[in-house]
Amino acid sequence: MSSKATSSRSRRSRRAVRAEDSYSGVADLYKEKWTWDKVAWGTHCVDCYPGNCPFFVYVKDGIVWREEQAGTFTQIEEGIPDNNPMGCQKGAAWSQQLYSPDRLMHPLKRAGERGSGKWKQISWDEALTEVADALIDTIREDGPESIIREGTPEIAAVTEAQRFLDMIGAVTTDLNGSINDFASGLYETYGKFNGVSEIGDWFNSELVLIWHMNPAYTRIPHFHFVAEARYHGAEVVSIAPDYNASAIHADAFMPVRPGTDAALALAACQTIIEEGLLDRGFVVEQTDLPLLVRADTKRFLCASDLDADGLEDQFYWWDSGEGALAEAGRGSLDLGGVDPALEGAFEVELPGGERVEVTPVFELLKARLNEHYTPEQAADICGIDANDIRWLARKVAQRRTNIMMGYNSMKNYHGDLMERSMALLLGLTGNWGKHGTGTRCWSTGLLDGIAIAMAKEQPGLEGAQQVMVSALGTIEETLAEDPSLTPELAMIEFQKQVAQGLGGFSGGMGENVVPAAFFWYYHCGYREVWNRREWSDPAMSRPFDDYVEEAFDKGWWGELPELAERAEPRVLIECGGNILRRTRGGTTMLLEHLWPKLKMIVTVDLRMSMTAMHADIVLPAANHYEKIGFHIPTPHLMNATFSDKAVEPAGEAKPEWEIFQLLARKVSERAKQRGLTEYRDWRGNKLDLGTLGDRYTLDGALEDEETLFDDILRDTGLSGALPAGTNLETMREHGHVRFVDWGLSPMALAQASDVKADEVHVPFRRHTEQKDPYPTLTRRAQFYLEHPWFFEADEALPRHKEPPKMGGNYPLHVTSGHIRHSIHAMNMTNPVLLQTHRGHPFCFLNPQDAATRGIDDDEEVKVFNDFGSYQVPVKIASSVRPGQIILYNGWEPFMHKGWKGGSDVEPGMVKWLHFVSYGHLSFWPAQWQPVPFDRGVYVEAEKVVEPVEA
Amino acid sequence: MNAPEKAKLEHQLAMVFDLNKCIGCQTCSVACKVLWTRDEGMEHQWWATVNTQPGKGTPKNWEEMGGGERGGAPVAGHLPTKEEFGGGWEYDFDRLFYGGKGSAETLRPTKGAPEWGPNWDEDQGAGEYPNSYYFYLPRICNHCTNPVCMEACPRGVMHKRPEDGIVLRDEDRCRGYRFCMEACPYKKIYYNHVRNIGQQCIFCLPRIEQGVAPACARQCPSRLVFVGFLDDKSGPIHKLVNEWKVALPLHPEYGTSPNVFYVPPLSPHRLKPDGSMDTSAPRIPIEYLETLFGPRVGATLDKLKAELDGVRNGGSSEMLDTLIAYQWQSLFGPFTEDPAELAKAESANGGE
Ligand code: SF4
Ligand code: SF4
Ligand code: SF4
Repeated sequence: MSSKATSSRSRRSRRAVRAEDSYSGVADLYKEKWTWDKVAWGTHCVDCYPGNCPFFVYVKDGIVWREEQAGTFTQIEEGIPDNNPMGCQKGAAWSQQLYSPDRLMHPLKRAGERGSGKWKQISWDEALTEVADALIDTIREDGPESIIREGTPEIAAVTEAQRFLDMIGAVTTDLNGSINDFASGLYETYGKFNGVSEIGDWFNSELVLIWHMNPAYTRIPHFHFVAEARYHGAEVVSIAPDYNASAIHADAFMPVRPGTDAALALAACQTIIEEGLLDRGFVVEQTDLPLLVRADTKRFLCASDLDADGLEDQFYWWDSGEGALAEAGRGSLDLGGVDPALEGAFEVELPGGERVEVTPVFELLKARLNEHYTPEQAADICGIDANDIRWLARKVAQRRTNIMMGYNSMKNYHGDLMERSMALLLGLTGNWGKHGTGTRCWSTGLLDGIAIAMAKEQPGLEGAQQVMVSALGTIEETLAEDPSLTPELAMIEFQKQVAQGLGGFSGGMGENVVPAAFFWYYHCGYREVWNRREWSDPAMSRPFDDYVEEAFDKGWWGELPELAERAEPRVLIECGGNILRRTRGGTTMLLEHLWPKLKMIVTVDLRMSMTAMHADIVLPAANHYEKIGFHIPTPHLMNATFSDKAVEPAGEAKPEWEIFQLLARKVSERAKQRGLTEYRDWRGNKLDLGTLGDRYTLDGALEDEETLFDDILRDTGLSGALPAGTNLETMREHGHVRFVDWGLSPMALAQASDVKADEVHVPFRRHTEQKDPYPTLTRRAQFYLEHPWFFEADEALPRHKEPPKMGGNYPLHVTSGHIRHSIHAMNMTNPVLLQTHRGHPFCFLNPQDAATRGIDDDEEVKVFNDFGSYQVPVKIASSVRPGQIILYNGWEPFMHKGWKGGSDVEPGMVKWLHFVSYGHLSFWPAQWQPVPFDRGVYVEAEKVVEPVEA
Repeated sequence: MNAPEKAKLEHQLAMVFDLNKCIGCQTCSVACKVLWTRDEGMEHQWWATVNTQPGKGTPKNWEEMGGGERGGAPVAGHLPTKEEFGGGWEYDFDRLFYGGKGSAETLRPTKGAPEWGPNWDEDQGAGEYPNSYYFYLPRICNHCTNPVCMEACPRGVMHKRPEDGIVLRDEDRCRGYRFCMEACPYKKIYYNHVRNIGQQCIFCLPRIEQGVAPACARQCPSRLVFVGFLDDKSGPIHKLVNEWKVALPLHPEYGTSPNVFYVPPLSPHRLKPDGSMDTSAPRIPIEYLETLFGPRVGATLDKLKAELDGVRNGGSSEMLDTLIAYQWQSLFGPFTEDPAELAKAESANGGE
């Protein structure tokens, strides 16, 4: 490409050159490259999370030439560095994807076998007619539940595609189940997985433990706060199997054996108790550790034990002051003058006169730690020196400690045990709910206008007000019924009802959402895989299926299993996702088990992905900079970040909002022609295709994307999350705006801290400061889970378990994560970014492991186990632990020989305990559910002697 | 030799890269690539590069290629080849997606398996696990005070601007003799085979002239690239380089007096053979760092550590506060103009 500046522009540039500059030739050339017709706000919302980097997009001759971080953040809090210039290399090269040769420009129809690469370019009208007819056929023959969308967090899909699919009664797989970003151990502990502090709060830490995260790869725009915290006096410790790009900036590197982090954390807990470093006040107030457990049943002593009319979730502690049993408050964490015992054994008389012994959970915990997790015992398990474990424990006890935890622990089979152990370490030392502390994960919400726009039945402010009145009314009713609830708890109750199809403030999450695992279990062949005992927890006394059956038969999951089973797949709509790249089990499972069942596969995408390649109809979507959009809002940034339409979409691409409008109209038109407009979904609700086209845009009121986004902003002001008066015009001026409150979504309310304009956000302050209860069964951070299955697993308390040999008994332990060069697959084919590594995929191996296998650097190997195999070149690095193989994800399968990728060695096992329903462990969108694992798969690697293509 | 008379240097622009904040993300290199080097003949050109050290870098083994100055005259080193730079790979997306061959095709560079590139040995490093070690080293043209590239050019097409010390080439007069590429010991000059000229970093001249910081500096998300005049006593560059002496030139022994400086990398404690931490020893061998940053690097790291110990014990440090850069703009000295505002004003003026 070469720059073509107009002659008038180059004349003007010349004027700027100093007269005495004898090198005006060169200066002119480059000055021509530095002239622009237009700049517009832009960001990159395709599930780059947390992202939210404001950019300016530089346009010349109707083409986006480049982009540059805006650098327009003002400092939030005195004494904390500002967020500028947030962005990364993917964002700085996004423009190069707009005109890349893999960009989709026209609607395509398959003209050969699926995946053959034989296509016919068709018109939008032809494409929409094909899709509409397939939808109508399926509704008629199989019911709307046979139309499936893979849930993804791509914000355009969450609104535009989801609205359409909800309106026809289609089924969506839960997004967190689909993308595997559910931190089950944090959820088990806090009743929510998603406490997230604002990035600037990292600077407040005195001890940063980079543990199950590689922020130098995955948090490029924000990593500076770690380095700056260090310059501010913090110590940084990296706990990881490999000496990764984040570890190089640590003060200490603790090379933990993969899969043994729980043992390390628990030994630190043992040290803290043993050495009297416990934050007792925090522990008795914030956690369930003082609650009394019956020695006979091992269950919490509850009010219904003492009185037939008593509550099952009213628990007790022992008031040391009075020497008597006392009720642990449910509506507040305030101790009310009680001094709960942490240690000792007490006797309680039951109504029948029977006397039972009760002990605080803490006593049980202490005994377990002393028995199994002394630093010496843990050192044998995790490979970290016992005295270094003590060194770590003492530091955690003395300093404001922040565990930089990404989405890695949760992708281990026993990741929940790791997370519970890490949370325990923080709990014993008072390390959450205050600046510089806590764990992190993901969260969203905030941009309530999206949910309001999707829920309202009439356009404009009035429609929005109706939605607000109904949502607020429901909260008020729930609060009136149970005054011990907080708004957060009330919203969760409400959301659980939505999940059961009872309507309401769905937050764009869809009304027919099923846990993705249920869909895979019934329809994608995973049932057989998950029943392989040798890949599962040996503590299971029964086959996997027995547990699933028990869970479903006992109604623990309501009607969700039935809905999932009914969702016999016929049409797959992929929008904002790449199911064949992402899904654990990959093409091995899906092409074999799901694909043959599908009569129609539609992919809406910016670029030719692996899934698009295997679709029947491909619809080209407008990229960022070609349509209006917002980044996924997040407490990490606390800003609504705007992306404007800077140029027209390339080729025939269209924004999703337009695509689904056109599709809705086409469905109405075809349904009328074909005489099928009214039908019932499986719940008996009447649906109407005839009016779909009109209803999708509220009779045209929301047709224009400018109106839609203007409404979304105004309505977010209505819910209180954005300053009143925010609209498209103010957004165009400022590009991003700081949220002023949480609004109504439970994901946002889960932050449980008040939003302040001049203070960085840190979650859970309402728990630690206002004493608001947690959304758990015990209303406290809960470390004791007394469900019978957890007893069977011996996981009622946090512990370490060896990872099961998922994939078979092979020597190399797989670790993974996001690679530096791409967010998932979407930047992998960026022509500039392809030049920033080896230009092809690779896996990392230690020199010793490579040598014993006769593998040289950059040689292609076959990675295999009993589940599957794929080919990938090797990169040899001494930073890798012997016995470890790093299979970073994101590479498109078509970048590997034979189109098998990393997912093809991952059986995608799920943990049986995650089918439990108990107290807070019950489903609502993006929350409690079984989610497959890919870390800790076992493989072997061998040199490929003859390449497949030879 | 037809080198131009050296005009008296009024001021010298300089950069400081703080390696303790660099995460090797390549935003700087990509920013430069997208802005300046996308034309035909520039495919392999990356005026800003970031490599993992220890490593062979780009061009491959550049530190062994010679060049620089000896006895007041430029020394001709090895002329780096296109293969040694590597990269510039092309891919045939059409064949893959629309060729009808299905999974028989793979997305790989069309002209055979790549053997080197601008970031080929990323994250490979050195040492033996668990005492592995590496760090990232961003590099641009050093706009040397003693530019041997300029001196080596028989046509005199290079020029060091007296007002700011930027080394510029007159591309119209360059005939592609490549003596400059042999002489430059940092191997930061690329050959454009289409135009038959040499090309290198222009210190973002059009931006500098508008008061905007260079793209590689302004776009670095880790906020670690300081820009300014070396003689600006109030600016951070002067303090870091001359006053506190915590920023060092790369390979000072090459003799060109480079104007890009580096805060050298700290590293985590080593582990003893029994696996326990040895808090007295950093893992990057000091001897290795001395080969890059000269004999002062040990003292520099000691100074940095002393400052860190100070703040950890409740003290304060102007040096560390400077490196924190509470205000992002404090990195850029006089170059704090917002390029978008300038562009908006320009387009509002109708481009005339
Ligand atoms: S891709 Fe994501 S992290 Fe990178 S600049 Fe864009 S929004 Fe920021
Ligand atoms: S952009 Fe900054 S952090 Fe990233 S590689 Fe360049 S200098 Fe290092
Ligand atoms: S100063 Fe400008 S031209 Fe030079 S390397 Fe940096 S971005 Fe490229």
